Amino acid sequence: MWFQWKKQLKKTTKRNEQSGQEKNGINRTVESELQRNIETVRNTTGNSVDVVIRRFLLGKEEGIPAALLFVSGIVDEEMIHQFLLESVVQLTVPSSYCREEALVYIEQKIAAAGKMKRIKRWSELFLALMSGEVILLIDGVPEALSVEAKGGERRAIEEPVTQLSIRGPREGFTESLATNVAMVRRRIQNPHLWLEAITIGEVTQTNVSIMYIKGIASDEIVEEVRRRLQRIRIDGILESGYIEQLIEDQTFTTFPTVYHTERPDSVAANLLEGRIAIFVEGTPFVLIAPTVFIQFFQVVEDYYARFDIATALRFLRVLVFFISLVAPSVYIAATTFHQEMIPTQLVIAIAAQRESVPFPAFVEALMMEVTFEILREAGVRLPRAVGQAVSIVGALVIGQATVEAGFVSSAMVIVVSITAIASFATPSFAIAISARLIRFLLMVLAALFGFYGILIGIVLMTLHLCSLRSFGVPYMSPLAPLILSNIRDTLVRFPMWALTERPRLINQTNMVRQGNDQRPKPPNQPEKEGDNH
Amino acid sequence: MEQARLSARQLFMLAILFEHGSAMVIPLGVDARQDVWIAILCGMVFGGMLFLVYYRLFTYYPAVPLTSYSQQIVGPFFGKGIALIYVLYFLYIAARVLRDFGELLLTFAYPETPLFILNAVMMITVMYATYKGIEVLARTGELFFFSLYLTAFLGLALVMMAGLIDVHRLQPVLEEGWKRVFKVVFTQTLYVPFGEMVVFTMLFPYIHQPEKAKIVGCLSMFLSGINLAVMMATNIAVLGADTVSRSTFPLLNTIQEIRVANFLERLDVLFMIALVVGGFFKISLFFYAGVIGTADLFRVKEHQRLVYPLGLSVLLLSIAIASNFSEHIKEGLNIVTVYMHVPLQIVLPLLLLIVAAIRHRSSRFFFTKQEKSKRG
Repeated sequence: MWFQWKKQLKKTTKRNEQSGQEKNGINRTVESELQRNIETVRNTTGNSVDVVIRRFLLGKEEGIPAALLFVSGIVDEEMIHQFLLESVVQLTVPSSYCREEALVYIEQKIAAAGKMKRIKRWSELFLALMSGEVILLIDGVPEALSVEAKGGERRAIEEPVTQLSIRGPREGFTESLATNVAMVRRRIQNPHLWLEAITIGEVTQTNVSIMYIKGIASDEIVEEVRRRLQRIRIDGILESGYIEQLIEDQTFTTFPTVYHTERPDSVAANLLEGRIAIFVEGTPFVLIAPTVFIQFFQVVEDYYARFDIATALRFLRVLVFFISLVAPSVYIAATTFHQEMIPTQLVIAIAAQRESVPFPAFVEALMMEVTFEILREAGVRLPRAVGQAVSIVGALVIGQATVEAGFVSSAMVIVVSITAIASFATPSFAIAISARLIRFLLMVLAALFGFYGILIGIVLMTLHLCSLRSFGVPYMSPLAPLILSNIRDTLVRFPMWALTERPRLINQTNMVRQGNDQRPKPPNQPEKEGDNH
Repeated sequence: MEQARLSARQLFMLAILFEHGSAMVIPLGVDARQDVWIAILCGMVFGGMLFLVYYRLFTYYPAVPLTSYSQQIVGPFFGKGIALIYVLYFLYIAARVLRDFGELLLTFAYPETPLFILNAVMMITVMYATYKGIEVLARTGELFFFSLYLTAFLGLALVMMAGLIDVHRLQPVLEEGWKRVFKVVFTQTLYVPFGEMVVFTMLFPYIHQPEKAKIVGCLSMFLSGINLAVMMATNIAVLGADTVSRSTFPLLNTIQEIRVANFLERLDVLFMIALVVGGFFKISLFFYAGVIGTADLFRVKEHQRLVYPLGLSVLLLSIAIASNFSEHIKEGLNIVTVYMHVPLQIVLPLLLLIVAAIRHRSSRFFFTKQEKSKRG
């Protein structure tokens, strides 16, 4: 049944494509008669109002009929008027030129515009038109000239919203691929910073670029990234999340195996470590691959702050991740199975509070955790003004009313709040949300088997983490497998001068980050005379 | 055999975790009373010699596990028989350790939970690990190696801070002479945990740097011997030989003695970490050896397909091998040692080694003869 249906679907889509192509004449080339060309454009674009067809007469004397085509909104209209239209209208094509040569003449003569190319096929013409280029058609010439004039309204460069920092650059990526690439280029001014462009999405034709530093990034991984991107066959790419899900090593895991960031300095740092960045048009989130687990606990600021502070903060972050993972399950385990492990006075206090609570600890914890997740979800989606109201309701509901009503104990409220704060303190949202999911699993295990359940859950999670790979690189490296030379920049961060090697991924050749003699020393002091007597 | 490569360090850590496994929590060799640490160290020395036997076999056949080279040494018929015996042994010991583990957990923390459930949960984890393969298990081992050591040091530091250690409890040393110590060595400590290194005959072919296999094995046995000796000595120094020899879990009793600053008390969870992590690695490695041995013996290409049937068998076996804990312990001390550990850890490997050595010598002889004839 299913296969038959699928076959049929394939057939019909194929037929549609064929008929569509025939109608649009996508495969045909541009004709020489201007009127017919314009008809084709009108038909193909369905007379869309934003496709502007500006007819005019070329040259002062002769007046060859010509037309400019562009899509308003995605082109720089000022540029079109100032440079293109004015210069083209006022241009005088010498009479010795025949019409076919007029196009070549214009191409050579209009230096004001940047990129230009001549196009013969309709398919190319429409791709250029839709990506924001201006098309010049001349009557009697079976060719078109496309001039790049991309523009239109875009969001300005702002501070990144998801990855704030106290010290460090304040600019974040925008939705424009070209701007994003430029931001990284400004940071790494090196000809070996290579950029490869491909188009993904049968319908959306989204521009995607791979960026890496030739010589530092391993060719093998670059090839792997390229291969995985090229095998994507999908109608559209609207955000880098699409790409992430189509190129990751394993889908059935809660842990992210591709890192994404909004910060150009983070991308630059990762490129210098030999990783590969994937830019996608239309989103400020740039993908980084290969990714290891420990990266989600590192932020760029770690390298801007001094090493002792950075190390302390990294320990804190791992602790925080752990708390957000196990806090409610430890509460469940301790109150249900292992009361003897709690100090006596505390256990009496908790028991007194729980006396009025009609539910077992697991139900109590589950209720509060679910309430909290609801509140958080509501807060994320709501408009800012209403969000305030949610937080007030949440604070009242979680903080006071439930305790006073005797639904939950106040100890549980403390646990939930600590969990929530811990989960917010995890630097990466992607890893915090996987902790949120696993937390519920651990809660079930704790309710069934107490600490034994939690331990088993953690062993299972570790096994799973160790089985993951990101573009062939073990996810838990350099901790497991242990790479001693890379341990300097994992949970701890050694002083800057001690970070002499890049992280080991796969088959790199250029591993040295800096020399061994970078340790700063005080200037050579002259021998003290007092020492000699 | 799987397509996998382990570094020497990974194998070392796995061996350490394996040796500590259940030996850490059970009353290991307590019949030697306050001389238990000597018994453990002696067990280590003799265990080291056994290991050299396994290592020598590995050097003759560096690319294949025990179940394969037994067939090359004594021919396919007897070789397959030996391989089958070893596979069954590994699986049986996996079931035994699982039973030990479940019973310990049951008596110590979950008196009302059915043994089967506790064992099943552990077995699911072990099956998952085996399913994922030895590389994943080794990486997990690296992570837990450090956390286990950290826990151990924390525990030792707390015991010292609480001022529980009384060195006089370790005296008199060798009260009844060497006889008692050696009796314990040759009935208990030699086989568990040191003789159990025979499992690594199944794992050594994975090692990336074969020349390091010897140092890995010796160093891991040495380190775990020292650790276990220190731990049992601590137990006796804290509790006294009398209490330790009567206790089911000396380590737990020691940990329960800890009281620091009126706050850090009843740290049973430390014991639980040691129990679960150690138990997991011990069962996993035995089970893995059993699974991979079966795959090797019966020419099963993907060992993953054997994980579920064999895992279920081990789980059921762990319940069926004894009707209660005392029976289980008695079997372990009397029957298993005499009929399984001694022949399979000592006698068979030695026999295999002797035959292999003779074969290699004769083949070398043969080859040289051939070469000579070629030259001639």
